[in-house]
Amino acid sequence: MAEINEKELTNSEAAKDAVEVKLEKKAEEAVIEKAVAVEPEAAAVEEDKDKKSVPKVNVIEAKRPKIKVFDIVNYAVFIILTLIIVLPIWKVVSDSFNAVGVYQFRLWPNQPTLGGYATIMTTSKLFRPLLNSFITTIAGTLLGLVMATLGGYVLNQYEMPGRSFFSYFLLVTMIFSGGMIPEYLVMKQLGLVDNMWILVLKHGMNVYNLVLMKNFFEGIPASLYEAAKLDGCSPMQIFYKIVLPLSKAALASIGLMFAVTVWNDYSTVQIYISSRDQANFQYMLRVMVMDGDTPTTSYKVSQSTLYYSGIVCAILPFMLAYPFLQKYFVTGVNVGAVKE
Amino acid sequence: MSRKKEKVNVNKKPLGMRIWNNRGFYLMFLPVFIFVLIMYYWPMLGIRYSFFVYKGRDIHWVGLQHFASMFSEPEFWIAFRNTLVISIVKLLLNTFVAVVISIFLNEMTSLFCKKFVQTVIYLPHFMSYAVVAAIFTLFLSTSSTGMINETLKSWGWIETSIDFLHSTKLWQPVFYIINLWKETGWGTVIFFATLSGISPDLYEAADIDGATRLQKMRYITLPALANTIIIVLILNIAKVLNIFEPVFVLYNNRVFEVSDVISTYVYRKTFMTSLPDYGYTTAVGLFKSVVGCLLMLGSNWASKKIRGRGII
Repeated sequence: MAEINEKELTNSEAAKDAVEVKLEKKAEEAVIEKAVAVEPEAAAVEEDKDKKSVPKVNVIEAKRPKIKVFDIVNYAVFIILTLIIVLPIWKVVSDSFNAVGVYQFRLWPNQPTLGGYATIMTTSKLFRPLLNSFITTIAGTLLGLVMATLGGYVLNQYEMPGRSFFSYFLLVTMIFSGGMIPEYLVMKQLGLVDNMWILVLKHGMNVYNLVLMKNFFEGIPASLYEAAKLDGCSPMQIFYKIVLPLSKAALASIGLMFAVTVWNDYSTVQIYISSRDQANFQYMLRVMVMDGDTPTTSYKVSQSTLYYSGIVCAILPFMLAYPFLQKYFVTGVNVGAVKE
Repeated sequence: MSRKKEKVNVNKKPLGMRIWNNRGFYLMFLPVFIFVLIMYYWPMLGIRYSFFVYKGRDIHWVGLQHFASMFSEPEFWIAFRNTLVISIVKLLLNTFVAVVISIFLNEMTSLFCKKFVQTVIYLPHFMSYAVVAAIFTLFLSTSSTGMINETLKSWGWIETSIDFLHSTKLWQPVFYIINLWKETGWGTVIFFATLSGISPDLYEAADIDGATRLQKMRYITLPALANTIIIVLILNIAKVLNIFEPVFVLYNNRVFEVSDVISTYVYRKTFMTSLPDYGYTTAVGLFKSVVGCLLMLGSNWASKKIRGRGII
């Protein structure tokens, strides 16, 4: 056992070293690239102009070794930083495939199994919350988008009487709220306590996203609206025939923001939902890991394998989508940032 | 500009006609209006319970008694202090590290590596606090499956396992580190947006003057970020009292004195008490909302003063 451990350890270390060497090589290559890029420029300057430009070239050449040291340190720091972020995630993924409880710093499963995932898929106590998570995320995203686009579109109608009243009506909710307990009492009256649709309704309206949407709509040229109006389009027709098709990118990034919020929501469930079949997966994961309330499994896996499989299931949808949709994940924030 | 002109023209028509002309828009706003009314404004009516005793079916007026007992309750003041300490330290730490990372990442010569690092450091932001707490609780656990303790022991750095999350001394530092891991990368997004707006001319001019790399970072990049840093701080200072989920997922009853914040205090007093007095917890919530509102208006004022534009 110990031998295997050590072997695994050295293997993984070797792998890590290899990665580092590779990245460092890349760093050096980049430096060389830069140096190469500088040289033709310098050459061009020499050709084009007279001797005046020669001292400048010398300055650049004199500085080159300094740049190199800085770059290597910089790349090394960022390799470490990347590892700090990636290693815990990798460890979780690798341990979710490992049948035995996990000891020490091993980065590869030594008894590979799919038992953890099979348990989640076959135990209704765990599968039901996972399903709830998917349902509420989809419904919450749709509702959120409908509200944000409708609100954002109407708030852009500057000639509409009462527009500023509507914007203050929304802004007040950003500054002041009833607080956790009055909200709870209202939801109780509405029969939304212990009901998974609370997750959808709670996130259905987000004033911040509505304002982002409004800012985006402002960028659509006014002449398009006027042309449509002249052609006899009603406001609703303009909305879904012109505004929505032009805002696909904004819809994607704001939709993603809603989806992430609903999928990742844990505190709403903690406050409003107590029965397990209405809970979402984040809540179930927490109950499992923190309270040790683990369902029995017919697969030969340790408890921690099951926990790690649960964590992977809870992050998988966005981790899969993220590399492809990163643009949309980030634009939402940048729209806000640029406006600032 | 053109919109303002339009407004002047339209104003000449009678109000009734303008309302009738915009009927489609009112209809479209109706669902939003009703939704906000129910989900946000109706709960505001519940604030009246801060002046009532609300225990089960027993509801009667007590005036300001809840506020008096709240301010004389040491547990409340502990929660209040922790809220300020935890949120402010977290905010300053996260912003500082995010600034350092963005400045140095901006110096990276290879565009591919830059994009790659950005992609990676944004990742943890998309995990929920429940997941992050689960990961680190498992890693830091004192049982034989706790990776960090076992690794440190095998390297001979420590003799016995350290109970990171149950120690009043270590809980806050561990909390800050976990939050750094989760949110710092994402915090750099806004700084990158600013950095991409710096004119390359500045760097070229500095090159000609013979400035070194570090000098350029110190005298060009950092000053360019100063305004954004202040904005980020102002925006977030308004929300310091709202902290709930990050603390709730990591705290436990052995570290209440260093981890209990106002929201978790309200939660505990309501949902973990056998016969809760909704009146008292509503009063605590009202205190939080009012202070939060003042902070928001204050930072809005500060923001207007600094950049000529409010945050709300």
